Order: sequence, then C-alpha cells, then structure tokens
Amino acid sequence: MPPFWIMISVLALAACAYVLGRARAIRSVDGNTRRLHSRPGYYAWNAALFTAVPALMLLLVWTLAQPLAVNQVVRGHLPADVMADAESRSLVLADVQRTARGLTAAVARGVLSAGEAAALGADDAPAMDRLAEADIEIAKTPEVLAAARDYRRINSAAGRVLTGLALILALGGMAFALMRTTPQFRARNVVEQVVRGLLILCSLIAIATTVGIVLSLVFESIHFFRLYPWQDFFFGTEWTPSFGGGSKLGMLPLLWGTLYISLIALLVAVPIGLFAAIYMSEYATPRVRTWVKPVIEVLAGIPTIVYGLFALVTVGPLIRDWIAIPTGLGSSNSSVMTAGIVMGIMLIPFVSSLSDDIINAVPQSLRDGSLGLGSTPSETIRNVVLPAALPGIVGAILLAASRAIGETMIVVLGAGAMAKISPNPFEAMTTITVKIVGQLTGDNDFASPETLVAFALGLTLFVITLGLNVFALYIVRKYREQYE
Amino acid sequence: MNDMRLAERTVDTDAKAIKFQCRDVQVWYGDKHAIKDVDVDILDKTVTAFIGPSGCGKSTFLRCLNRMNDTIPIARVEGRMLLDGEDIYDRRVDPVQLRASVGMVFQKPNPFPKSIYDNVAYGPRIHGLARNKAELDEVVEKALRGAALWDEVKDRLSETGTGLSGGQQQRLCIARAVATSPEVLLMDEPCSALDPIATAQVEELIDELRSQFSVVIVTHSMQQAARVSQKTAFFHLGNLVEYGATDDIFTRPQDPRTESYISGRIG
Repeated sequence: MPPFWIMISVLALAACAYVLGRARAIRSVDGNTRRLHSRPGYYAWNAALFTAVPALMLLLVWTLAQPLAVNQVVRGHLPADVMADAESRSLVLADVQRTARGLTAAVARGVLSAGEAAALGADDAPAMDRLAEADIEIAKTPEVLAAARDYRRINSAAGRVLTGLALILALGGMAFALMRTTPQFRARNVVEQVVRGLLILCSLIAIATTVGIVLSLVFESIHFFRLYPWQDFFFGTEWTPSFGGGSKLGMLPLLWGTLYISLIALLVAVPIGLFAAIYMSEYATPRVRTWVKPVIEVLAGIPTIVYGLFALVTVGPLIRDWIAIPTGLGSSNSSVMTAGIVMGIMLIPFVSSLSDDIINAVPQSLRDGSLGLGSTPSETIRNVVLPAALPGIVGAILLAASRAIGETMIVVLGAGAMAKISPNPFEAMTTITVKIVGQLTGDNDFASPETLVAFALGLTLFVITLGLNVFALYIVRKYREQYE
Repeated sequence: MNDMRLAERTVDTDAKAIKFQCRDVQVWYGDKHAIKDVDVDILDKTVTAFIGPSGCGKSTFLRCLNRMNDTIPIARVEGRMLLDGEDIYDRRVDPVQLRASVGMVFQKPNPFPKSIYDNVAYGPRIHGLARNKAELDEVVEKALRGAALWDEVKDRLSETGTGLSGGQQQRLCIARAVATSPEVLLMDEPCSALDPIATAQVEELIDELRSQFSVVIVTHSMQQAARVSQKTAFFHLGNLVEYGATDDIFTRPQDPRTESYISGRIG
C-alpha cells in the first residue's frame, strides 16, 4: 500500500476509534455520563489519538528513513570507484532510481510481467527492445540494472512491512485506548497532555526552521570566506563579479545602496504615515476612520512587484524628465530616488497603521488631563500623546526600516542593478537583495565564491534586520511602562 | 473626624459671591437624557460636593462645568451655565480658555509620562504664565507647596511623575491644576483610587484650597462630602433632588429620597 493510502486507512481507523471510544465510555456508566471522570468526547478523542498518532508517527519516520536505508543497501552493487566521488555517486543513484521507476512503469503498462521485471538482465535483448519501443528509459549497465532490481525489491518489501506495522500499531493503539476506557480513567488529562505536546511540536517546528535557515547561511558563508578574504568582502568598495575569476566582491556599494534607498523610503513614509495616523486617531470622526483606515491598509496588500512596475513605468520617467534632467543630476530612468519614493509609499500603511494603534493605546485619561488644564487638542497631541506613544512609534518605524532593507522587487525595477557608491540620488544604484538574486540566477556552481557570496550577503542582511528588530523591541520594552 | 469637622465648620455661605449660575441644564448622551432641569448656584471660595448613587449624572454635570463633554461626540448640552455672569456655552467662548480657568482633577491619577517638574509646569508653559525659568520655578514650587507635595518631591523634581505613589500622583495632579491658577477647580472622585491615609491628605488639601478658589467635588463617600464640603447637592436619576448647606442635607434632609440615600436605603 502506498503511504498515502496507509494514512487514509489509519485515519479511518481513528474515526472508528472515536465512535467506539465514545460508545464504550457511555455504556460503561449505563448512560449516566455524570459518573464519568471526563465528558464522553474526551474518551472518544483519547481512543482516536491513540489509534492515529503512533501509526502516523511511524509512517512519517519510516518514509523519511526508507530512502536513506535503501540507498545504503543499493550501494553494495555499484563499483567502489564510482561511489568515492560525491557528485558521480549522486548521479548513479539518480540513475538507479530512474531505472527502478521505469521498471515499475513497464509493469504497470503491461510491457513486462512482474516476474520479468524482477529478473531483467542487461543481456535480455527482447525485453530491452520492448522497453525501448514503449519509450521507457532504463540503464543498460549490469551493475545499475542489478541495483535497480534490488531497489525495487527492497522498496516493495519495505512497503509491505510498513503497511503491516502501521495497521498493527493503529489497531493496537485502539485496543489499548478502548481497554482503558473506564469511568475512573482520566481521559481529559491525557487528551490535554497530547494537545499540549502538539502545540509544543508546532512551535518547535518554527524554531527549528529558523535555526536551520540561519545555520545553512552560516555554513555557506564560512565556505565563502574560505575562498574569499573577509576584509575584501566587508571593506571592499568594488563589486565586479565575473565567473571567469578575478572578481571583486566588495559589499560596501551594495550596503550603501541599501541604506540610501531605505533612508529615502523612510523620509517619505514616516512623516506621511505618522501624520495620517495622528489624523485618524485624534481628529477623524469614527465614520471617516472606518473608511480611511482600511483604504490606507489596502496599500499594504498591493504586491511589491506592482509597486515595482509603478516605479518603472510612472515614477522613474517622471523624476528623470522633471527633476534629474533639468537639474543636470542624471539621465537614468532608474534611480535611488525612484525606488526610495515608491518604497516609501509602500511603507506608509506600516507606519500609519501601527502608529494609529499605538496612539489609540495612549490612555484617554492623559488626554483628559491635558485638555482639562486648558490645552488645545494640538498641544495635547504634541506634548502628551506623542511623547507617550513615542516608543511604540519608534518601534513601528524600525519595523518599516527592516521591511525597506529587505525589499527586492521595487529596487530591481526602480533603482537598477549598478553597484555604485555615489551621493547623487538620481543615479542608478542597487542593493544587497538585488545582488543576491543576481548571483543565484542562472547556472550555479556552488563551489565558486561568485555564487557563495550570495549567502554571505544574505547573512549580512539577516544580521542587520535582526539587529534593527532587537533594537526596536528594546526601545519598546524600555519605555513601555511609563504610562501604564 | 467627621463630627469634629462638622462642629468646627463656621462658614457663612450666604455671604459668598455666586461663581457658577446654572439654570435649566439638560444633557443628552445620544438618546439618553442624562441630566434633567438642573438649577444650581455654585459659590466662590466654597467646597461644593455632588453626591448621589452611581449613574445619577453627578460626574456628567461636573464635566459640563468646563465643557469636557465637548470631547464626547454624542453628548449634547442645553440650558444656561453662567461663569461670573458669562454663558460658557456661548459661541464666542473658547472651551480651551474656559478650561484654563476651570481646572479639573480626575478620578484616576493621570500624571503625564514626564518629570514631576514638567508635569506641574505643563499648564503654566502652554498658557505662558511665566516669563522666564526663575518665574516658572517659583510657580512650580508654589503649586507643589499648595498641593502639600513640595517636601516629598523637592529633591527629585526631575524624576518621572508616574513613579510616585498613588496619593502623591493625585496630589501632583492637583498641583498641576493649581499651577494654572484656576478660578474653579473641579474634582471627579479624586480619592476613589487612594488609600485612607492618602485620602485624608487630599481632603485636607481640598479644605486649604478653598481659601483661593471655588472647589466642586464629586464623591461616592458621604462621609467625605460631610468632611470637606460646605454645600452639598444630591443627584438622583439625572435630577438635582436637593441642594443646600452640607449640615442641613446631612442632618435635616427635606426630600425623602435624600434621606433614604444618606441613611443607606438607596444607592
């Protein structure tokens, strides 16, 4: 049975266990459910969980472990010189798998009988001809063919064992749970423990993924720094990668572009977003607010590639024709200014929405206190509300900043791909993210520094945004208690 | 304490000038008629207490006196409220200026998240009551002394006001209101968040403030009303049931509802 059907069967058994567990619990007290320790639903869930969880866990572990184990066995057939090199080994193993799949397909389509497929040798010319006719590709070398036969044999045997084990485990779990279904049994506590385990598991998955991503970045970066001196990466002012060798991979032009564009974006987003937030939370009537706030938040729902198009088609030419060319500062369609302004527009809802929530969280009593002393609403906002909300607003701005630093699409289309350090905002520049994309598109040789630099850049970016986020959290925590 | 204060009170309320003259005041919150036909005269340099069960409208009426109800969109006020003969709901009156002369202290201490000094200096600064730092220092010290807080905080004026204890915070809020030198000080249950000792300090303070201006206090505690006030108004279901000298209200109530309330049968 394929794993999918095993899973369906196990779930069906769990459903049966649910019904049986419930019925058994109710019968054990002759229908008077108040005598049960837990409500009948908990007995039902207990039975279902004991049926499904062990069997599904076995299924998961087995399907993950089986390929590894089978590969280990199959290796025995293959010549040692092929297996010595990691790259040729993976090629041969792929060939074995392809052949095994081909044989299975041949059996399924009636080209070969099951027996023929199990005993097929490289010298069996008529069978080979039929396979070629049916357009099924299999390897012709005897070793690979033998390995493929073994691969199929072990896999099908393992599949049978797995099916049997999983069903036995499911039935055993069901029997165990049903046996324990007595009025004294604390089904609720057991179910709650299982659910708690489930919750822990989910959070562990999130953490493990993060750790995994960071570790892969770190390892590949270490790889990179073995091939390329770190001083040149961190302090080099020239970015001229060439896959032929002799690249200069200095990060500074990219960092400059990233920070410059983010700065312009924040200069656009922070005043507009903050003033919009002040209007919405302090001046707008509830009716206006219910309209304006969602409309501003729609901005956050626009895909960044659409902003990129907007930058490329509208803002870029506009800035070039009306500002850059008349002032003689540049003639490029893409520029730091274009990307910065468009990115700033994208960030407005982040700043305004978060700041609006934060300003609303300032207690009304502070406003009353200030108004009660005879200050005007605007004095109240400037002297009381904004200072009280400041930590949160700083947090919102830093969050927007880390968005800006990580943004790719708007920069690709708006700012171009020229790595350059220049103070002129009407020139094309580029950012770390764009260059990561650039270094990883196309054919990659993961042993060359030109490709691996992407990981070092990614790690740098990660550290910058992490630092910003930590700093934002620190600010928010440090000043939060002041008005509570 | 209660009886002692009552006994030693020798204020001739009849001789005082009328500060607030309110006639036929109506307040609606949306469709709810919260204040009905209230007529009341609040005297200068007197403590007037508003008492009554929860939801009777006493806080609402208090908030009318400095137009704090303007900040609530659904509230609507009708009738005449004259402060020194001028209608405070007149179109020409700026509520901001009104609130500068009719200060307010709230139920919960609400010091700004600023230093103690800046809290007290807040009003004088926005109203330009001091021409230089020395004058401002003087105003702050005077207000803090007036609120009986100076000795406790004079060495830590730059610390934040939210770090004080509840009673100190409330006295800071009173100092903040006093610093703008108002003509009337409104207090909305100023002691409800305080412990008995802090309450006693604030009550003492209220009695002292009476020499400078008129104080209107909303309170849930009848003992407090009896201790600090010279005039008492009893509100019930939005109506002003009885208004008179505190001694008379508590010893010889005219209205059966007042008698029921002060003897604890309703409310």
